[in-house]
Amino acid sequence: MAATASLKSSLLLPCPLSDFSGAALSISSQTRRRSWRPRGARIQVSAAADSKNILVMGGTRFIGIFLSRLLVKEGHKVTLFTRGKAPITQQLPGESDAEYAEFSSKVLHLKGDRQDFDFVKTSLAAKGFDVVYDINGREAVEVAPILDALPNLEQYIYCSSAGVYLKSDLLPHFETDAVDPKSRHKGKLETESLLESRDVNWTSIRPVYIYGPLNYNPVEEWFFHRLKAARPIPVPGAGNQITQLGHVKDLATAFGLVLGNPKASKQVFNISGAKYVTFDGLARACAKAGGFPEPEIVHYNPKDFDFGKKKAFPFRDQHFFASIEKATKELGCTPEYGLVDGLTDSYNLDFGRGTFRKEADFTTDDMILGKKLVSV
Amino acid sequence: MAFSSTAAATAAAAFASGRRSAACRPSSQSSSSFLGASFPRVAAVRRCAASGAPARRAAAVTVRAQAASAGGKKSVLIVNTNGGGHAVIGFYFAKELLAAGHDVTVLTVGEEGSDKMKKPPFSRFSELTSAGAKTVWGDPADVGAAVSGASFDVVLDNNGKDLDAVKPVADWAKAAGVGQFLFVSSAGIYTTSDEPPHVEGDAVKESAGHVGVEKYIAGEFGNWSSFRPQYMIGSGNNKDCEEWFFDRIVRKRPVPIPGSGMQVTNIAHVRDLASMLALAVESPGAAAGKIFNSVCDRAVTFYGLVKMCAAAAGIDAEIVHYDPAAVGVDAKKAFPFRNMHFYAEPRAAKEVLGWTSTTNLPEDLKERFAEYASSGRGEKEMSFDLDDKILSAVGVPVAVAA
Repeated sequence: MAATASLKSSLLLPCPLSDFSGAALSISSQTRRRSWRPRGARIQVSAAADSKNILVMGGTRFIGIFLSRLLVKEGHKVTLFTRGKAPITQQLPGESDAEYAEFSSKVLHLKGDRQDFDFVKTSLAAKGFDVVYDINGREAVEVAPILDALPNLEQYIYCSSAGVYLKSDLLPHFETDAVDPKSRHKGKLETESLLESRDVNWTSIRPVYIYGPLNYNPVEEWFFHRLKAARPIPVPGAGNQITQLGHVKDLATAFGLVLGNPKASKQVFNISGAKYVTFDGLARACAKAGGFPEPEIVHYNPKDFDFGKKKAFPFRDQHFFASIEKATKELGCTPEYGLVDGLTDSYNLDFGRGTFRKEADFTTDDMILGKKLVSV
Repeated sequence: MAFSSTAAATAAAAFASGRRSAACRPSSQSSSSFLGASFPRVAAVRRCAASGAPARRAAAVTVRAQAASAGGKKSVLIVNTNGGGHAVIGFYFAKELLAAGHDVTVLTVGEEGSDKMKKPPFSRFSELTSAGAKTVWGDPADVGAAVSGASFDVVLDNNGKDLDAVKPVADWAKAAGVGQFLFVSSAGIYTTSDEPPHVEGDAVKESAGHVGVEKYIAGEFGNWSSFRPQYMIGSGNNKDCEEWFFDRIVRKRPVPIPGSGMQVTNIAHVRDLASMLALAVESPGAAAGKIFNSVCDRAVTFYGLVKMCAAAAGIDAEIVHYDPAAVGVDAKKAFPFRNMHFYAEPRAAKEVLGWTSTTNLPEDLKERFAEYASSGRGEKEMSFDLDDKILSAVGVPVAVAA
């Protein structure tokens, strides 16, 4: 069971089914404490150091859980726009009762479906937010009504994806590289174009693979399931494909650093880990993180199999990594977590406690391993 | 394009014209925290470069020449190897320094009359002397004699791979009061890792000769820097790089690639190494005590490199994959690059020196192919014994050229 229901529901604001009717909160503290402090990063004190009225589209699933805490701690008024399917807040593993009470008593909720563009426009216009963090937007059409509703918006901060880059033999990807208008992520590209074309102060963040506690994309979880079951890890090809993981807390920090930051105005930033990793190397890193013995890795040719709709491996079968030097230079943003440290954090706070999002499914593994046994 | 300069000014122009020039756009992206206040105009040009657009080289060179003549002029000694992949570094570095108005002496190891001197870049040393450089020959064990007692502000050892070779140079430099000691090391000393890229500060193989040198000079000099290159291309190269691929492509021979071809490496145009070294000379304070990966800022896969060489040649290439162990060939002899990921990034140079990479492999390879084609090498008789062994093991026929 992944998300634990909050035991402190009495501290949650009343959330009636249709409208937002939470009381205006007094923001007591202006302290800029963060729950994790980036080592070595210069802390940007934004020019507008006063509290902002911030809308987060999403915010209850993964990135937003950490980002919203950071923003609340910095003294901003934070509203999460969600359908309410996931709990508005949940106590994080390792989070003290007091910290959680503090956060959950302050964060606000606006319940709605962002695909209902009329509702989005009217409800947002009524509130007048200063800043929007769009964490779950996929298509440009979803963003237009937000911009329409908030003509005085100070900043639109968008979670895009490094998946927009056109595949290349020259890597890493830099923000200036060609993008692929046909990619699976073209909605993100179209959103970036819309933001560019509208007269709004926008910032776009392009993460690579995100990992960390509460990850709903089975990235590290995929490896942990196999390591826990003491199964071999099937890796496609030579296992030397290079990918890149970024810890969700470092991503939240980066999102925080662009707030009110003139250097982020109309800029795109790749955000991920400082180093890359091979597929085989990632299997070994996950083993180290969970205290498992060095894994047995089995390589296979994906073309030899028909996995149907199932995904046999959680990463795209190619090199895929991006340079974060622009963010490091412009925002003073250096990741706090190295790969093994970050995976250990994820393991200790999530999988290692018995929680995960998807049940283990070794169907494709057995197809691969079965064929390997037969061919021997 | 081949170098044809005579005077320093023309050298600068010829140097500049071969590059992409892009308007140097001032932008809010510029960062100046590490740029010294002492060379404000140089700093301004570098700030432009840091914005991501390659700085217009002519402008950059002009500013540096002003800086040199304004009192920043230095006397630089380059102790240069007489062969191998690093030989060309000294040649480009010398040109960069000369264009900036510095005094340059190149001490090449060995004798002026040796057969080795008939190969590039040595065969083109007139391009250095006509620009005002002194070229001498001698034994690095007695630099003082080789340079007839001259004194220098900066010494670059672009020769030794271990302390036996470099210690005499370093000891002489220290005794002679040399202010800045630079060493061309190697990115090959990094220990292998699951997490590319190699960045400055990562673990190195303690037994490597270059590591011994770096430790020694760190102990001897207040101002030392070490530069760790990988592979280079550029006119005047002493060692084959892209030629290996062109040799096969123009003869319509299959190109044998070990393993999956997904291995990444780093191939820089040597001008990037020269500019990095030159920045260290101009900003000795920033460079002091630092290690710099002397590479460009993009990895390329083996597979991608073949594609780019084919595109540069305008001829389709056929790739054949093989397993060196299964075929029974020594991968080091059968292929010009290490058969593994070997990828360093130039993070320190960017951060500390404000250096930018200008290498653009697809474009640079076109220029390289133009020189290859005009050299006649593509028509020469060549044997491909190892290739043939590989191809027959894999079962790929090679059409005999008509």
